[in-house]
Amino acid sequence: MIFLRRQVPLLITLVTGLVFAVQYYVPHPASEQMLTSVTKWLQIIGGFALVLGVSSLFHVHAMKIRRKEVGWGYSFVLYVSMLGTIAVGLWSNGKEAIDGAMTSFGWIYNFMMVPLQGTMFAILAFFIASAAYRSFRARSREATVLLIAAIIVMMGRVPLGEYLIPLSGDLSQWILNVLNASVRRAILIGVSLGTVALSIKIIFGMERSYLGGGKE
Amino acid sequence: MTFAERMLKIDRRLIFLVIGLCTLLPLLYPVGLPIKISPEVRGVYDYMESLPEGSVFLLSLDFDPASKPELHPQSLSLLRHAFRKNLRVVAMTLWVSGTGMADQVVTQVAREMGKENGKDYVFLGWSPGGTAVIMNMGQDLYGAFPVDYSGKPTKGLPVLQGVTNLRDVNYAISLGAGNPGVEAWYVFGKDKYKFELGGGCTGVMAPGLYPLLRSGQINGLIGGLRGAAEYETLIGQKGKAIAGMDAQSSTHLAIIVLVILCNLFYFSVRRQVKHQGHSGL
Amino acid sequence: MPIETIIGAWVATGLTLFIFSFLYRDNPLFKLAENLYVGISVGYTIVKTYDTVIVYLIWNPIVKNGEWALLIPVAIGMLMLTRYMPKAAWLSRYAFAFIVGVGSGLAIPRVISSYILKQIEDTVRPLLIMVPGEGLSFTWSLLSPASSLNTIIILVGVSSVLFYFFFSVEHTGLGKVVARTGILFLMVAFGAAFGYTVMARMSLLIGRFDDLIEFTDPSYGRPSLWLMGLTILILVMMAQRSSHKSEEE
Repeated sequence: MIFLRRQVPLLITLVTGLVFAVQYYVPHPASEQMLTSVTKWLQIIGGFALVLGVSSLFHVHAMKIRRKEVGWGYSFVLYVSMLGTIAVGLWSNGKEAIDGAMTSFGWIYNFMMVPLQGTMFAILAFFIASAAYRSFRARSREATVLLIAAIIVMMGRVPLGEYLIPLSGDLSQWILNVLNASVRRAILIGVSLGTVALSIKIIFGMERSYLGGGKE
Repeated sequence: MTFAERMLKIDRRLIFLVIGLCTLLPLLYPVGLPIKISPEVRGVYDYMESLPEGSVFLLSLDFDPASKPELHPQSLSLLRHAFRKNLRVVAMTLWVSGTGMADQVVTQVAREMGKENGKDYVFLGWSPGGTAVIMNMGQDLYGAFPVDYSGKPTKGLPVLQGVTNLRDVNYAISLGAGNPGVEAWYVFGKDKYKFELGGGCTGVMAPGLYPLLRSGQINGLIGGLRGAAEYETLIGQKGKAIAGMDAQSSTHLAIIVLVILCNLFYFSVRRQVKHQGHSGL
Repeated sequence: MPIETIIGAWVATGLTLFIFSFLYRDNPLFKLAENLYVGISVGYTIVKTYDTVIVYLIWNPIVKNGEWALLIPVAIGMLMLTRYMPKAAWLSRYAFAFIVGVGSGLAIPRVISSYILKQIEDTVRPLLIMVPGEGLSFTWSLLSPASSLNTIIILVGVSSVLFYFFFSVEHTGLGKVVARTGILFLMVAFGAAFGYTVMARMSLLIGRFDDLIEFTDPSYGRPSLWLMGLTILILVMMAQRSSHKSEEE
């Protein structure tokens, strides 16, 4: 049973990992056809992954409602809004608009989902301002460098800043194109090396956390 | 408690009020300061200008409503430019929650420019899998999107005539708010299928894309609302991005003033503490 | 204006203001909007997944075109869902093993080519440029990203930052100087990132305010003004009720 539960999955990872790493260097039609098929498969599997992702949310809120935990009313709102959206969505054939005319599903999307999600992220503007006021202090040489760079970029990326201090535009451009780019490049190279190393460890079974815990 | 100490501990809701007013007032009473064009935005514009009529332009609207204020104006300007140049527009999204918005913006601009669905443009919709979709499009566009958003089979659409995969795309732009976005389009798309790629992104993502810009992996970058305002200026069609630039200016200035004030108060308190320490000795 | 648009404007404004009410303090209006947001987003994702995956990627190709090979990814997807069945949960490992294996295999060559090789190639560019008629030349312009001076700065920046994150060598002597240079480069990049984050967040706020301003129009019935008044009234009443409660206690 251990063979089926542990060795076979590791073997699947090893074989698929090696095959698709090598595939990149083999432009043979058969190899390309294999890539075409598997990427299509991944699209379909991606759909199941989305279902898996949201299903834990069903469970958590269903438990809250069943046990009448604190704030279960909000979970009820969540459930009703979710089921309502699904019902309306299916009734509208999953389309927000048909030939440019908004459907009921499109109405929920445009007048509920878009403003809700947009505003949820928009309020961060207030919190970033408050955080800047409370913690953006020149406590050390490094913090001072950070602060000055931030101020130059904030000035240089808006018309008023460029109008008041004309040099700020060019200076922020240089910071972004040269200093920032070099740091981002170093981070990109470092992270990529890490990604490749991790992928190799996964393929050869040295990293197995993706298999999850539970019984062998 | 000294004045500086009190100021350092002010109710944060006062700061909220300042930011709220700095955003609202310029939107109500705009000034309209001139906008300078950066080389990265010009890179995208110039390449679009150089494309001959009938070229295939792929626009992937990889964002959701959370990034609408930044990327929606970018998509409007790019679509207007593409339709004005009579390019064949292929639009799509890799972000499920952006599907409705993407359809809306494509339909709106197409109607405005008198373009016909299926002949001049197509909206492919959304498909799950992120990077897998890009690779599958690189192999076989019709396999990745057997039907368009409205359910019409993509095979046989006049707008896709001669297009079998990403190799047949003349220019692709991803307007990305995260992953999958511009980087994914390079790694899983351009790297193998060799089409020209440009990028548009949110302000948060822009600094991270400069290495790709410098190395020529993307030939231009439209960053945030400012980038959108620059593109609106370039195509000569004022929109929400240009209108928002005054508010952007005033909020930036407000934050800079707040940071300077907080540092002044901080150093004043620190000097006072030091002074008290010395006199205590 | 169509009635559904007017109702939509009122609903959108109300929900926007409910979320903004969080700036005053956490309150039931915000919580209501927050849960509504999660519910609608999940419902939307389910509908789109059903419509795209089940109908257009699975059902139609298999039933109408006879692409039976697509039953393989369907089976893998089904295996993934066994995660929630304690007795059969181990079967999901097959699905994850396939996804992770293929993902790793696809990523390795592409990441090496796109991020490691291309980025190193652009970092070690020639310092001297051959100008026809002038011979070798060194360009000093800071404003030209491709100038020789900027090439050196980038080389120093990339090397020092990479060295700063390389902990196998002790950062002493010359190493300390290099690591400290790396820190300074990092601070500038963090500053730039902060500046751009501020820009992004403010843009989002501008976007929401734009909509609220649009909805002050009489054609919509001025929902922004009416609902702002109503939201403030509700918040005041809630604050009063909670202060009464605390007094009684």
